[in-house]
Amino acid sequence: MAAARERLRQASGLAPVLGAAHEAFGAMLAAIRSNEDPTTGLFAAFIMAAALAADGRDAVAFAPSMPPVGSRDFLDDEVDVRIPPESVARLVSDLSQLLGAQLTRSAGQATDPADRDACDQAAQCAAGIHLLARDGP
Amino acid sequence: MRSWDPPAGQGRTLTSRATFGGFLGAAHEHLGSPASLRAAAEQSGYVAEIRHSLLRLAIVMHRYVQDARDEPDRLPGRARLLVGWDRAGAEASEALAQAAAVLHGDSAGRRQLGVRAGSDLAQRLDAATVSLIYGRDLLQTHLARGPDGERQYRSEWGAVLTSPPMSWALLGEMAALARQLQPLRGGLERSLLARGNPQALRRLSAACHWLLVMDNSIQAAERQHPVSAADRALLQALPVNERPPRPLPNLNEPIGGLCEGVIATAERARHAAWLSASEPAWSPAVTATSLRRVAAASTVTSHHCEILLRSLAGGAQESAGDVQAELLRAADAAAFARTRWLGLARSLDHVTTDTRGQLSPAAIEAGDLALWTGRLAYSDPEWTLASGPDREKRPAMSLAPTLDNAAEIVAAAHRGCESLTRLAQGGRKQFRAAANAGRILVATRSAAKLRRTARPFEAASPDRINAVLTLYEYTVGASAGAADQISHVDISAQAPQRSAPAPSDVSAGAARTTAETAEGAAQRNDVGADGRPGTIVRTLRALGVTDIELLERGAEIDLTGEQLIVDATTAVRGGVARSTRGGCEALEAEP
Repeated sequence: MAAARERLRQASGLAPVLGAAHEAFGAMLAAIRSNEDPTTGLFAAFIMAAALAADGRDAVAFAPSMPPVGSRDFLDDEVDVRIPPESVARLVSDLSQLLGAQLTRSAGQATDPADRDACDQAAQCAAGIHLLARDGP
Repeated sequence: MRSWDPPAGQGRTLTSRATFGGFLGAAHEHLGSPASLRAAAEQSGYVAEIRHSLLRLAIVMHRYVQDARDEPDRLPGRARLLVGWDRAGAEASEALAQAAAVLHGDSAGRRQLGVRAGSDLAQRLDAATVSLIYGRDLLQTHLARGPDGERQYRSEWGAVLTSPPMSWALLGEMAALARQLQPLRGGLERSLLARGNPQALRRLSAACHWLLVMDNSIQAAERQHPVSAADRALLQALPVNERPPRPLPNLNEPIGGLCEGVIATAERARHAAWLSASEPAWSPAVTATSLRRVAAASTVTSHHCEILLRSLAGGAQESAGDVQAELLRAADAAAFARTRWLGLARSLDHVTTDTRGQLSPAAIEAGDLALWTGRLAYSDPEWTLASGPDREKRPAMSLAPTLDNAAEIVAAAHRGCESLTRLAQGGRKQFRAAANAGRILVATRSAAKLRRTARPFEAASPDRINAVLTLYEYTVGASAGAADQISHVDISAQAPQRSAPAPSDVSAGAARTTAETAEGAAQRNDVGADGRPGTIVRTLRALGVTDIELLERGAEIDLTGEQLIVDATTAVRGGVARSTRGGCEALEAEP
């Protein structure tokens, strides 16, 4: 997620932001799925956040300006399972906040309505993830 | 650890929806006991008025009987020899038509609806009629007619209502009403106060006779093929098809209120899931967004059900060991359902649909169910899905201080898991329909293909689709298993029944008899008779015979004759089959 965050932070212009957002949603999804543990109090939040991460990933993937390289399935990536769920929640919260801001900005700049809709939809997903993950310690 | 306190009096009822039994019971109550009805008949007064009231009642009863017989699917081809319940329905319909015919006539005593009758007897009949009209309206809320007149279901209860056991139970209820009306005959004949045309009195008496014929026909079928008490109870418990309003949790909602919220939301979710299953494949509501949201929320709901059942089990340690073991088994089943839902949710990460973003009503209700069950499972009155990890689970002491509370929570968990089953079934149907329409997509993995087509998604392979459908199947089974396991928790043995029944409560006996009826119908169709019911009885009626004994004897002869034909046909077919098989074996044995 750190790499995805850095790429997103540095992304400029619609296509790079969409590509970085796709990677960020995928990375969050993989991290959340690896930490869904019913014995922890974050279980419900993680389950709901995962669904939003998949929705956000798909939303940007369908944007007309999405670069082709974005169609990678991050769920196959290796995830460091030694990170405690609370830390994952914090990382997800931070990344989703940045995602939301970048996508909202991109939506304002997009000229193609389909790009704008995709950015808006993905930004809503990011906001939802942030809401679910932010209450973690 | 403590044990549960004994139930503190009569608890609250968790649902307040009108049921068919309420209206049926009111009709019986309005008619009153045999003694009071006879007394009312003896004090009857104006006969024409009573005749008109009884006519209205007979017409409404006839409509019920017609409803019970209106099952074209049951008897394909309509070429059959009527026996058993089919015959009883036909005879009941005819008897009620005869009753209405003899009561119909001059306009004397006719009143507009809403004009109160003068005599006590007519008032009783009118009140019973109104109750039956409302009862039938309630049943009809589950059914509709399509553009070609075909029957359509407006709720999941529709299929239950039109099942043979429910139709038989309905006929049985009409017979009970006809039986209850029998004191009218003697009472009117003995009445010194009855005023009016003697012919009108005779017509009333004849109508009572036809009601008796109807009762006898139905009782004969009942003796041959009894309706179970469970099916009768289910018919009475049939609720009005009205989706409960969306409940919104208040802060500091008491446990009982939270249970009510869970049950109402579960019902809404079940209804939404039922409707979603019939969504067309192209519907914009069929989206990956909705499918994922249902899977995610249902994972959480099953998790909450597990928490609730384990908490109850913890509180039951010093009470009956059986109950605790049942609760733990139910909790394990809920945990297994959670595992299945989670597996399904993960599989949906890999697929998407051509449209996204729109949330279906089922997805919204599934989310609400996760919230309500969470409010019940956690102590925090402001608990939401976004609440952090430090939320305390509700301890057994505050969750279920009494046995009544424990029964309420078990009922809520049961209804929750039942709804999860419906949601899984609905999702499976939607996914299959969308897949058949080529709407289930996966990311294009081949870089060359991606460059060539510039499309980031392509149609999912059959293997992928089948894998997801298999997970849906597992999830349906696990959710149904959890609901079934919870239904075995026998806290309610000492506490009153709390929640209204669901369509899935149709008894195994009902399912069995449905199968038997289908088999019987097929057998009867094979007979190839002309389909005229009760030839002897019809002939007697054509001769003007009204003596009940003669009609009963005629009915018996009809029945015996038809049974003889059925037996003979079966024997002949069996013999042909045996001889053919024997011939084949002989040919094969020849060198």
